[in-house]
Amino acid sequence: MGMTAVERVLARTTGRNVVAPGDVVQPDPDFIMIHDGLVRGARRELDGLGITRLAAPEKVVMVTDHEVIYGSARAAEFGVINRNAAKAWGVGQFFDVGRGGHGHIFPMESGMLLPGMFYFDNDRHSTNAGAIGAFGFRMGAEISRVLATGTNWVTVPKTVRIVLKGRLKPQVYARDVGFYIARLIRTGMLDFDLDYRVVEFAGDIDALGLAERTALCNSPTELGAYGVFFPPSQGILEFAAARAKRAFAPVYADADAAYEKEAVLAIDDIEPQISLPGGIETSVDIGEAAGQPVDHAFIGSCGSGMYEDLAIAAAFLKGRAVAPGVRLFVAPGSEQTTRRMAADGLLNVFLEAGAILLPAGCGPCNDAVVGPLHAGEVSISTASNSNAGRFGSKQARLYLGSPATVAASAVTGAITDPRTVAT
Amino acid sequence: MTDFPWLLKGRCYRLGHNVPHAGGVIPDRLITSREFDPRKLIPHLFEETDPGFHERARAGDVIVTGRKFGMGPKMNGYIAMQALGLGLVCESMPYLAYRAAIGCGVRVLTDCAGIIDLCETGDALEVDFLSGRFVNHTRDVQKQFSPLPEALREIVEVGGNVGWLKQWWEKQQGATT
Repeated sequence: MGMTAVERVLARTTGRNVVAPGDVVQPDPDFIMIHDGLVRGARRELDGLGITRLAAPEKVVMVTDHEVIYGSARAAEFGVINRNAAKAWGVGQFFDVGRGGHGHIFPMESGMLLPGMFYFDNDRHSTNAGAIGAFGFRMGAEISRVLATGTNWVTVPKTVRIVLKGRLKPQVYARDVGFYIARLIRTGMLDFDLDYRVVEFAGDIDALGLAERTALCNSPTELGAYGVFFPPSQGILEFAAARAKRAFAPVYADADAAYEKEAVLAIDDIEPQISLPGGIETSVDIGEAAGQPVDHAFIGSCGSGMYEDLAIAAAFLKGRAVAPGVRLFVAPGSEQTTRRMAADGLLNVFLEAGAILLPAGCGPCNDAVVGPLHAGEVSISTASNSNAGRFGSKQARLYLGSPATVAASAVTGAITDPRTVAT
Repeated sequence: MTDFPWLLKGRCYRLGHNVPHAGGVIPDRLITSREFDPRKLIPHLFEETDPGFHERARAGDVIVTGRKFGMGPKMNGYIAMQALGLGLVCESMPYLAYRAAIGCGVRVLTDCAGIIDLCETGDALEVDFLSGRFVNHTRDVQKQFSPLPEALREIVEVGGNVGWLKQWWEKQQGATT
């Protein structure tokens, strides 16, 4: 019996010929990522135990994406703690405020995270790594053990496979497909339990670029998936090779790999989706939510923060203005994307429409440290989820859509089917 | 082999399916306030569904649950279970809940299909977490489940992640001096 992609990667990083779901292993990661929100806790824990030396400081990547603009004295204090930790630990790559951008986006864009790699991360949206053909495993607060010892125990997860068939209709995007899959699972149409599973995508996926793959790697996380994987296409391999900071070896599942479950999903008839407040799995066809007035809109997050996402949104904003009474925030996924947008004029489209540009990072999608909502207000965004309280008040209502849907809604002032707005 | 008590003999405390961590295991306010002190957590274990549980619980008692126990990757309830010396046997746990229980040093078996049909609260149980052997003396039932994976035993023996890291560091220091 062959191995799935995650089994292959875990076999390589544990020096074994074979691993199987349920095995407890301790992989040797290619790197270790920690974000600005968790450094304080890890430093405190390790200092408390007298651990002042990391196992492999050169492998540690510290990113600043959760609170980029210090909006409080507390955030400024965290910034000092983070810089001190980076120095004391001798962190190999420290991306401070205004450097890099979102930790689940810029490493793929800059050739740091490459096909076939494995890394540990404190954050669960490390599932994004599957877009480039890699794996990032979430450790939460246990990242401190990885920092100290260089590894941690993981159970080899089971893998499910989703075979995409067909072509999306115009103005329907990968983000819509992610919401749609979550909806199928909630309603039992797709009998998958994604808790601690890896989702492998297959089928008509060769034409999907990195941004589309990233969007599809993002949503299953909300249903408990631990990893999502796209076998890298020739286009992805060329993208990675052109930027690679080191040699890499792509990984693919064996032809006879064993999947826990497999489903074929026809994507031709999928409509633009709107996730209703409460979770991405509540999504409905946009016709059921269109017309809902909004106060707040946000384009960005680890699911929709790449240049291509922002270009799609810009097409709806070009020559138009954000509707009166609506505030639109835009957070590119990386500093590189912000610079590219400045260079090619895309940034002006957003600014002239009245959008507010945020620094590369999570934007409001991290506990609303910027751009929060008040009780009773309504948001439409490309955030990673729509759980109550994600954007501040638990009494605010959060809807999710694709970058096209959010941009179209921002200019009309209500949830709007992007197919009804000319571009 | 250490003398750690891997074999628990005690009474059964049986729960159903889908017990969430917040509210079902321990009140949400203790999770959101990040209370990790076992002395402060113990009085509130199962408080919302069974006030006074902690006064009746004795070391060696075993909590037996249905599917999806402890939803939410939180540690607070497991800290209290570990401090009380309780064991945990579940039909299933979301992976991060299982990971949190191990990280707090709880003796736990999961994927024990059908376990809640084999016992009632108050039954005299015997559970060997090293072998996976489950015995209900009250009903004269025995069943074999998968044991706690060997790679995780050391973490549980030293009381969880913090204890494990402390011991690891001490060994490192010993090796370098």
